[in-house]
Amino acid sequence: MNVGLAIFWKDVLIEWRSRDRVVAMLLFSLLVVMIFQFSLPGGASADTQVYAPGLLWVAYVLAALFGLGRAFTLELENDALSGLALAPAERGWVFLGKALANLTILAPAQAATAFAFGLFFALDLTAVAAPLAGIVLLGSLGLCSVGTLFSAVAVRTRFREVMLPLLLLPLLVPIVSGSVRATTVLIATGSVPFEPIQLLVVTDVAYLIVCFLTFDYVLDE
Amino acid sequence: MIRWTGILLAALVTACTVLIATSPVDARQGVIANILYVHVPCAFAAYAGFLTTAICSALYLVRRDERFDRIAMAAAEVGVLFCTLNILSGPIWAKGTWGQWWVWDPRLTVTLLLWFVYLAYLLLRSFTEGSERTARFAAVYGLLGAIVIPLNYFAIELFGGAAMHPDNLEGDSLGPAIALPFAASVVTGLTALWHLVLVRADLEHRQAPPDL
Amino acid sequence: MNGARVTGCSLTKRFGHAVALDQLSLELAPGESLAVLGPNGAGKSTLLRLLAGLARPNAGTIEIDGAPAHRRSARRRIGYIGHATLLYPALTARENLVFAARLYGVPDPAERAAQLLEDAELGAAADEQVAGFSRGMAQRAAIARGLVHDPALVLLDEPFTGLDRSASERLLVRLATLRREGRSLVLVTHELAHAAQLADASLVLAKGRTVHTGRGEDAASLEDAYLAAVERAA
Repeated sequence: MNVGLAIFWKDVLIEWRSRDRVVAMLLFSLLVVMIFQFSLPGGASADTQVYAPGLLWVAYVLAALFGLGRAFTLELENDALSGLALAPAERGWVFLGKALANLTILAPAQAATAFAFGLFFALDLTAVAAPLAGIVLLGSLGLCSVGTLFSAVAVRTRFREVMLPLLLLPLLVPIVSGSVRATTVLIATGSVPFEPIQLLVVTDVAYLIVCFLTFDYVLDE
Repeated sequence: MIRWTGILLAALVTACTVLIATSPVDARQGVIANILYVHVPCAFAAYAGFLTTAICSALYLVRRDERFDRIAMAAAEVGVLFCTLNILSGPIWAKGTWGQWWVWDPRLTVTLLLWFVYLAYLLLRSFTEGSERTARFAAVYGLLGAIVIPLNYFAIELFGGAAMHPDNLEGDSLGPAIALPFAASVVTGLTALWHLVLVRADLEHRQAPPDL
Repeated sequence: MNGARVTGCSLTKRFGHAVALDQLSLELAPGESLAVLGPNGAGKSTLLRLLAGLARPNAGTIEIDGAPAHRRSARRRIGYIGHATLLYPALTARENLVFAARLYGVPDPAERAAQLLEDAELGAAADEQVAGFSRGMAQRAAIARGLVHDPALVLLDEPFTGLDRSASERLLVRLATLRREGRSLVLVTHELAHAAQLADASLVLAKGRTVHTGRGEDAASLEDAYLAAVERAA
């Protein structure tokens, strides 16, 4: 438990010193929003609002893939990953510490992207900001759990940049579909639907448990 | 073992061919319905293969016995093969019967996702160095790939995909004349899966360095 | 401080078709120090990583005080100082040590870090980022990191590489202190003179096999034995 907190603190501190992942993800997801402007008929406007929730999550997933890929490269320098593997603790806590740090580092980019979506699609998100943040948190939790696990895997394979999305995207279908559905209903009606949230919670719990238990096998050399 | 499954498979294929050739042609769909004698066994074989991969992955992580890893790998390869045949044969039949090549029906979508998962599994294996590390990484992924199946079903139903596949094979949904060749083709498909998995795992075993 | 007993029994480690270690056995009594020598690619670092519980053998067993090396109870007794420093360049020396202390559940991480920084003579540079450290300073910080939980068994992988003469001398003194404190030591090195000075016993590897074991040798006899054994193996 303390090991998880130590790792979380260490990752956030390193990110705070350089801020390179936060800035890169932020710019990246704003660029993705720009691309949507050119790929939608009539651009991002009130007329294309119906596409906004789906596209928002596409931007989130792409930004997360981008940021998660870097999560373990910082552990490769000076073989720091071995330092984590040496810790006499349940390795699941190492996983949780890394996953929570990823979740935290993702948050600024996500908030800014949501703001940009509201602006370009003429959506007023301020009224639903709190429940939307909740949905984003639930979705991102699942995203960061498998994302962290397979980031640790991909970083030690050849073609690591290609490997992470290939491994991750098929596993993200339940999370993306639940999040998009929940976001759509929330923006349309102002209330949070039960079924997609249920799917998100079940997926998050299942992924977190399996990742916690299997991280031991990933951390071994 | 491999010899016996091979002989059994040869016998089953012969019997199946005879049974299908002598069964009546479907009154409504015509001769195109015979694709189902390939399509459905391939689906059963693919699902059985992926299930084997998931179970053997879990067993490998618990026991760390290379034999489980070899079977998991073989079942994924053969499963992807059958899954490919299944996905290719489906649209041919669907165009003739539903009038469309592709429909985002839940079972179709989940099968396609599974195909992606286990292709990624095989890619992961070929991009990882060191046999023991490959086995561990792949086992973790093979396990998660199976957990995602029920979640995906739930996810797709949430989006209200139109279910075009029959829910279950009930005894009376098939006429007695085609029930027997149908059952025979499924048994043949599963036997083919097991035979190929055994051959592939054996090949891998022969390539592996000798146990010291 | 009581050292740890190390027992390795017919260890085999393969990487694909390449055999890094081939049925290697070793035994180290508590408080003893062992020098592991051999040409490049002999399997020295692999052996050390197996001892640290970072990798598992394909066959054979390895025990630290009776517990398999990859178990948590064994990891608590092992200090691993690898070829790389295991430090985060973006953090200061102090932050690195506090983090390591928290990984090991050391009671007062800040206090422990301060004490280790003093032992490592890094007091002045304690709050500078490790990225700016010289090789000698980084090596001292890495050793402090490895000792953060007061391990009974210290594993060192080529600690003298890249150090100038005065840094080497300081390291030699530091390692002699660790030995005097009663810790068990496993030292992988190319420097036969250092090995003879620091180790009670020697183990020479070639192509993953033991080609020589010795005890209480001086530098000259160790060198003779080493050269003969490596030549025979080649």
